[in-house]
Amino acid sequence: MPEYTLLTLVAIVVVVVLDLAVVRTRLLATLGFWLALAIMWGFQIPVDGWLTRLDAAIVRYDEQHFSGVRIFLDSPIEDFGFGFAMILATLMVWTVLGRREPMTERSTTT
Amino acid sequence: MEPFHYLLVLIACLVITAPLEWVIGARVYRRPRRLALTLLIAMTPFVVWDLVGIARGHWDFSPRYTLGLDLGGVLPLEELLFFVVIPICALLTHQAVLRLGARAWPRGRLAREARELGATRPSTAALDQEVGGA
Repeated sequence: MPEYTLLTLVAIVVVVVLDLAVVRTRLLATLGFWLALAIMWGFQIPVDGWLTRLDAAIVRYDEQHFSGVRIFLDSPIEDFGFGFAMILATLMVWTVLGRREPMTERSTTT
Repeated sequence: MEPFHYLLVLIACLVITAPLEWVIGARVYRRPRRLALTLLIAMTPFVVWDLVGIARGHWDFSPRYTLGLDLGGVLPLEELLFFVVIPICALLTHQAVLRLGARAWPRGRLAREARELGATRPSTAALDQEVGGA
């Protein structure tokens, strides 16, 4: 399996396991996460396409290191897995850091 | 303009998502410490991945469309900024979805998630309702 493909699959597994079983932020079980992801993926098409389109590529991929499947504007399909992992990791860490914020109003009003 | 191609798309991302903070009321930029820590913790592995990808020859960057400010001689400045800009867009999008959902359906699923994830302040109408009704 090409290395970028393999690393993408590993990253997806890692963030999913972290979210559901280790950190237990369970964002994958929320509606908000999937709506946000759908919007982000929608915008990834033009943004990533701007980076990868073959007639003016900013980021140049070696064909032998990914699946060879390019979607939309010549983006390697792996990029969308990279995006998924990046987005989930970001929201997960943000959520964990929020746990430590005091919910003072909430605990004192009752 | 060609050297600015990468930088411009990042700026466009920030401009397009700015109203999510300043109009819809996502509180991402207004939590600078939490944002900085989030970026540091969440993006470090992805920057490492990027460097591995460069070192292993998975991808490289066009000198024609980047500024030429390569950190350590390998990582274009824009590519590092990518790992700042995109997660900010993700946080703004998620917070905005929760806030708009909570506003449209105060007793709905997104409203509950917004409270659980702290996307709405504890003193918002939703909680007042909750406390008042208890």
